Amino acid sequence: MRKIQLIAQRELKERISSRSFLLTALLGPLFVLGLVYALFSLGGSEKQHWNVLIMDKTEIMENKIAPKQDPRFTFHFINEFVEYDQFATLEQFKDYDLAVLINEKIISNKQVIVSYRELPSESIQRRLIYHVERRFEEIMVKQFTDLEVSKFREIKQSMNFSFKNTSDPKNEINHKAAWVGYVFGIGILLFVFLFGMTILRGVAHEKSNRVVEVLLASVHPRQLLTGKVIGVGVTALVQFVLWGLIIGVGLYLFRQTFFPDLLDPTLLVEQMSQDVAQQALDKFALTARNYNDFVDLVYRDIHFTNMLLFFVLFFLGAYFFYGSFFAMIGSAMGSESDGQQYIIPISIVLVLSILSGYYVIYHPQTSLAEILGYLPFTSPVVMMIELSRGFSEGDVWKIYFSLFLIFLAGFILFRLAGRIYKNGILQFGHRLKFRLIIRWLKIS
Amino acid sequence: MLQLEGIYKSYYRQKVLEDVSFDVPSGQIIGLLGPNGAGKTTLIRIINQIIEPDKGYLSLNGKRMTSEHLKNIGYLPEERGLYKTMTVENHALFLGQLRGLPKNDVQKQLDYWLEKFEIQGWRKKRIEELSKGMAQKVQFICTVLHDPDLLILDEPFSGFDPINVDLIRAELNAFRVAGKTIILSTHNMKSVEEICDRAVLIDKGKKIMEGAIHDIRSENKEGVFSITFTGNMIAFATALWAGYEIISKEVHNDTTFTVYLKMRGENEFNDLLTTLLPAVKIISAQEVLPSMEDVFMKKINAGKEVEHA
Repeated sequence: MRKIQLIAQRELKERISSRSFLLTALLGPLFVLGLVYALFSLGGSEKQHWNVLIMDKTEIMENKIAPKQDPRFTFHFINEFVEYDQFATLEQFKDYDLAVLINEKIISNKQVIVSYRELPSESIQRRLIYHVERRFEEIMVKQFTDLEVSKFREIKQSMNFSFKNTSDPKNEINHKAAWVGYVFGIGILLFVFLFGMTILRGVAHEKSNRVVEVLLASVHPRQLLTGKVIGVGVTALVQFVLWGLIIGVGLYLFRQTFFPDLLDPTLLVEQMSQDVAQQALDKFALTARNYNDFVDLVYRDIHFTNMLLFFVLFFLGAYFFYGSFFAMIGSAMGSESDGQQYIIPISIVLVLSILSGYYVIYHPQTSLAEILGYLPFTSPVVMMIELSRGFSEGDVWKIYFSLFLIFLAGFILFRLAGRIYKNGILQFGHRLKFRLIIRWLKIS
Repeated sequence: MLQLEGIYKSYYRQKVLEDVSFDVPSGQIIGLLGPNGAGKTTLIRIINQIIEPDKGYLSLNGKRMTSEHLKNIGYLPEERGLYKTMTVENHALFLGQLRGLPKNDVQKQLDYWLEKFEIQGWRKKRIEELSKGMAQKVQFICTVLHDPDLLILDEPFSGFDPINVDLIRAELNAFRVAGKTIILSTHNMKSVEEICDRAVLIDKGKKIMEGAIHDIRSENKEGVFSITFTGNMIAFATALWAGYEIISKEVHNDTTFTVYLKMRGENEFNDLLTTLLPAVKIISAQEVLPSMEDVFMKKINAGKEVEHA
């Protein structure tokens, strides 16, 4: 164990002190932050104006809404209830972007359902809530109290708004969340490829400069391989931590400095709730142009704790799994350039894994998607997608089972890699052929 | 010290070592000789437990060898490398600790060797900053850092200039005096004659000869004598008649010569001296033992002839 630790420490020190590590650790996250900044700054594709249909069967709102006009909304009233699918498909409703359902018992149950064709941003949602709530404050004060509106506001109960996709009211299709998982999954594969190549180059280099023979006189080949894989793996984790810290601090600073109002809609609503509402509306109209889906994605939709935890776990599984392949090739190479041809098939498998994720985003309920979630080649991407979509309570076992499978496959492959490493590491000058690898596999 | 008993090793049905057995006594330098592809490197790797024999066993100090014994062995392979980006100190610390030495002891040993070789200034240098010869010295230091009882050196002098060859040779002698055992694999037969006590010759995976260097040379002598004299070459040749055969001669100056000859029939060394004394003034006369290179060539060629026959 001590020897494995020494080898891992050496690997870690060498990798961390290398210029490429520092460049990747600094430039990588800065590049990501630059991209995020650009996407925040460029603003989005969000609609500038929303047509809102208020379905108020009992006419409790009396076909009225906020006293002052909001340039972002045009409100229309209808005195009947329209089903989701009707709202989604009927020609007469196609010009409405949002439908607000005011149910008959709203005074007591405080439930408001908003169905949308395109998900409004957090700020637009807040604005809509603001308008509807203000109207109900007026109604409540008028009908049930002798209080001033401002006094009533202090004691009132908030209403519960739920936003539902008109074509997916049960929220079964969540592509945006799936894309978040996809990005995390691709991140896993990219890191696995990056650090897998580090293993391959390290093994091939030790072999070609013959330092390996000196090492093997002190340690068992399997210890040497284990130490190397652990060392490079820990390097990857250090890289993750640095990326996480830099990106985390960057996003925090974005929120605090560059885009404070943009990213804190509650602040705007608070402002609006006071008598300076119109002023705020004007200000908001300017800043809201920049508000887009991406902001929601970064600050609202990503459950960083869960995603990062499983990102690391799936990375480790995939790293052992794919890293074993890279170690096999590195140790079996007859010369330092010999194994390049074998990197192509691994790269193809990695690309196929990325494509499989794309398939799962659009065909989530298929049996193929289920299988891809368990295959060690594809499970890191597929399971990150599934995780970002969310598992129902009864399905949580799937992610743990998938993790178990990838670690099991990684362990088996690592054992086989150890066998090839042991038999191939001291063979020089040959041309690497598949037949040779099979032969080395047979020798225990 | 080290015993090898019936070692067999094959790669893919090709026999690389076949029934190799020999003993390596303590406090001696053993030359492990053989042509390229004879199986020396495989044998050395087996002793170092880098690979396992198919059959046979090794014992060290009477006990069957295990991985525990590795800390008593220092190994300098022929194709040796270092991590180019590491400093001399870090490299020594890494290899020393891998051999089981505590960090502080590695530091002390490194201080000792750097001072001994007068290269203290190298400590913080990266390996890539060193010349080939300098790197070889670092490799030698890393090999002996943990003060092993058994040193296995594969072509230790390659890459060194004559001054450093002498330096390393002196160190090997010092190790021998200190009771350490050294296995030296080399093609440099002169070195074998000069520093080895014993030799083992391997060819095509089999041990074909083993013994003390002097005994090996004596056993392979061919009755050649050298006579160095002053006088007349014609008088010398005339004095020798049918009982002797002149093989070659070296002319030192007009009157001084060295002649190599063989005796025929029943003649002995005393008869030769009796014959020559009246004719020339003898400076030296001795029986010539074959060089290790001659013995090596003779044995290897004999093997080839048997194979062809």
